[in-house]
Amino acid sequence: MRIGFLHSVLRQDEKMLVNEFRRRHGIELVMIDDRELTFTIGENGFKLDVLIERCINHSRALHALTLFELAGVRCVNTASVATVCGDKLLTTVALQRCRVPQPPVRVAFTEESGLRAIEEMGYPVVLKPAVGSWGRLLSKVNDRDAAESILEHKTTLGSYHHSIFYIQKYVEKKGRDIRSFVVGDRCIAAIYRTSPHWITNTARGGEATNCVVTDELADLSVRAARAVGGGIVAIDVFETAGGLVANEVNYTMEFKNSVGTTNVDIPKHIVDHVIAVGRGEVDA
Amino acid sequence: MADCPVCGAEVALSEDVIEGELIVCNDCGTELEVTQVSPPVLAEAPQEEEDWGE
Repeated sequence: MRIGFLHSVLRQDEKMLVNEFRRRHGIELVMIDDRELTFTIGENGFKLDVLIERCINHSRALHALTLFELAGVRCVNTASVATVCGDKLLTTVALQRCRVPQPPVRVAFTEESGLRAIEEMGYPVVLKPAVGSWGRLLSKVNDRDAAESILEHKTTLGSYHHSIFYIQKYVEKKGRDIRSFVVGDRCIAAIYRTSPHWITNTARGGEATNCVVTDELADLSVRAARAVGGGIVAIDVFETAGGLVANEVNYTMEFKNSVGTTNVDIPKHIVDHVIAVGRGEVDA
Repeated sequence: MADCPVCGAEVALSEDVIEGELIVCNDCGTELEVTQVSPPVLAEAPQEEEDWGE
């Protein structure tokens, strides 16, 4: 089986996957660096049974997946999943369509309507760029002064993307949230991410500890994964008084800090799934 | 072994090193990319871009 491995720089996560693929018999791993890749529309004939996407740039991943699929290559994850997960607004829409619990969200397109939405929602709220990762440019807005200032800055200094105001009700998460990992139809592992800062991403210094996968967590995680189109995704989950809610869904999930923490061989599960997709045994 | 392009220190590479892998120079702390395995060549890793992430 020929498996394409779409990448740019290779972090520890990708190295773990490459090593796992190389341990398998009958697998020819074709490394494809997105920095060297060119597509000729209508002419590319990639002889691949399946491709796994591990780009670090969202924009490259999204467009490359679209082009590989155009060329008839099965991709994990699909371009559709990348499209939905790469945009928090589209993720929110997908979760809502499937009635997956999530924090309250409002959306506005101007400073004035944004401020009105925030005031109606009540402080604090979190303003998030619709496209972005690793907790970049998240703003916790505690009062009207901050709201006015941040909305003006985003409108004046940001690209037009930053004037799509995605406003999420701030969830008091008591210093931690949950990151769960879904591969196919199973929630295989989860970690708590703990930080004294309100942003708990491990990329921002959040500490990872094991989280037992309860039935409630597995159910929410798999439903969230299915809502965005399935595949291999990581769900950010908040614990609230009313139960678990899905905050975000990540489609090129990072897991290097979670293998030792959970004692779950996450790369093995990912590779098993990609090979099963390549054999046509499961959907991407 | 390969030379760090920033500080010139010798950087040890693992036996299973692969092209494109990110490593860190223990002397100067710079994040480096292995741009060639044999013979090994290192370059400064790309800087984080706006759409990097998960």
